[in-house]
Amino acid sequence: MQQYVVRRALLNVLVIFMVITMVFLALRLTPGDFALRQAGGQMPDVQSAEEGIEIVRHDLGLDKPMPKQYWEFVSGLFRGDLGDSFVSKEPVMVELRDRLAPTIELGLLQVAVAIMVAVPIGIISAIRQDTWLDYVLRLFAIFWLAVPSFFVGVLLLYSLARWAHWSPPITNYKDFFEDPLLNMQAMFLPALAGGLAIGAIIMRFLRSQLLEVLRQDYVRTAWSKGLRERAVVLRHALKNALIPVLTVISLLLATVASGNVVLETLFQLPGIGFYVVNAIQQYDYPVIQGVVLLVAAGLVFVNLLVDMAYAWLDPRIRYG
Amino acid sequence: MLAGQQRAEAEVLAAAEEIVLPQRPGWLVLVGRFIRRKPLGAFGVAVVLLMAAAAAGAPWLCRYDAEETFRVANPDYVPGSLEPEDRLDSRSGPSWKHWFGTDQFGRDNYARVVWGARRSLGVGLGALLFAIIFGTTIGIVSAYFRGWFDMFVQRIMDSIQAFPAMLILLLLVSLTERNLITLTMGLGFVVITGAQRIVRSAVLSAREDPHVEAARAIGCTPFRLMAVHILPNVAAPIIVIFSIGIASVILAEAALAFLGLAPIEPPSWGMMLDEGRRYMTSQPSTMLAGGAAITLTVMGFNLAGDALRDILDPRIRLT
Repeated sequence: MQQYVVRRALLNVLVIFMVITMVFLALRLTPGDFALRQAGGQMPDVQSAEEGIEIVRHDLGLDKPMPKQYWEFVSGLFRGDLGDSFVSKEPVMVELRDRLAPTIELGLLQVAVAIMVAVPIGIISAIRQDTWLDYVLRLFAIFWLAVPSFFVGVLLLYSLARWAHWSPPITNYKDFFEDPLLNMQAMFLPALAGGLAIGAIIMRFLRSQLLEVLRQDYVRTAWSKGLRERAVVLRHALKNALIPVLTVISLLLATVASGNVVLETLFQLPGIGFYVVNAIQQYDYPVIQGVVLLVAAGLVFVNLLVDMAYAWLDPRIRYG
Repeated sequence: MLAGQQRAEAEVLAAAEEIVLPQRPGWLVLVGRFIRRKPLGAFGVAVVLLMAAAAAGAPWLCRYDAEETFRVANPDYVPGSLEPEDRLDSRSGPSWKHWFGTDQFGRDNYARVVWGARRSLGVGLGALLFAIIFGTTIGIVSAYFRGWFDMFVQRIMDSIQAFPAMLILLLLVSLTERNLITLTMGLGFVVITGAQRIVRSAVLSAREDPHVEAARAIGCTPFRLMAVHILPNVAAPIIVIFSIGIASVILAEAALAFLGLAPIEPPSWGMMLDEGRRYMTSQPSTMLAGGAAITLTVMGFNLAGDALRDILDPRIRLT
């Protein structure tokens, strides 16, 4: 087990390194850069546009030969330095740290919403298989699977503004520990919009898993011991049905991260997704590289953690 | 002797006439059976056909051009105001003239939804063709040769898949000129990893089939084996990937358009949703038309795909 974890962790580091190198090259080898956008208007003392571009490039170190830029980037990585943002001139590391909290909070809230919705519905749908209740719940899941989370977000904003005359505080975002109430007001809608979408996937998967488990021999034994339905389903069947669901949740984290780029932009949450959309529009290379590194590392290691949790929950699983 | 033989022959022929072979059900019967067994799947197929018809017949299905603008008298106009925008309103709700209302430039929302179908389905179709051509090739070759080559290819695919698709798309959109062709290829690229994985697992079992063994024994080249003897075995998963994949591509394209990162030229549902939400409290029709079109189409492809999977091969797992 230990050996497995170490080997996978090393492999993950290699993969992340490969990816970040690819992004580094892709950003620099394609036309269009920050200097091109920035030059001209902002610098009155510059004669021509070309001269402006050269000055900005020189300031940002973009005129150095590519291998040198790459070496500076990689050696910075090992010192925990991701460079400074072209736009704000702040260290990317600091900016990322400040923006991590809203993103993680939103992701956790969405998973929480998803589980709260999906687990009860999945259970009811499975134990009442092929009744009208099951059909209604499955339709419910299919519906939430198809509606884009940003449409749900817009609809929520619209109905609250129209009928409750309320809209979330968009301009002054407060940290959860600073002002929990204001923070929740801003987080509530995106958490609901994103949570329902992943909840639908979890629900469908839990239902099919539970149906499989409910047909197994040990469940029949539990029934024949005369246990109540509640005990059979919740204590015996659910535990085993939930293990594969955990893997699906970990796979969904990538989806969560994707969806939140849009939701953070829609709800103006100062998280990683909102940050990267802005950075991309402004060709802010260090920020883009930083976000790619962070997201890749985060996802890869969360997946590793989930695999370990998986082995811990199901003793039959051994990684060799 | 000869007469007896003739009689026997006639008897045999007569007997054959009496046997009533079970008739192959006509296609109408098959469609009826599909609707009865898979009502949701049938609904999905109907939505897909509707959207395909809208995409194909866009120029003939709308009364107005998608870029034509209309103005109506503003009911809230205060006499004496000098601003011309105050007298005329471009945004209007559903009416007989404009079924889904008009947007902030006074363009007919119905026409934009119909033309949007052409864009969404076109992008989806293109992306999936791209993904399936590459995904199938990679999946078949990787599973056919196995060993270190397979291992190498699969690790590359894993590292691509470790990324949120949206991040890859955002990078692509930022790196290249914004046009529909690069966008389509990028969306297709994101689907390749999943597609090749499903194809690969189907090939891993198909390559052990006796008919493949026999073909190898009579000296087929690897290329012929893969193209002629293995490829037909993965047709079912490919059809299912196509249907479910197109739904996710349409969704992703709408999300990019919603973020304002997709080309603006052909009308797009995601853009209607984004533009419409800015004035949704006064006139929600644009936002609702765009959002409903995305939802309906994605649901249609998902339901059709689910039903196709159940019919073709229930073992295909897509998550």
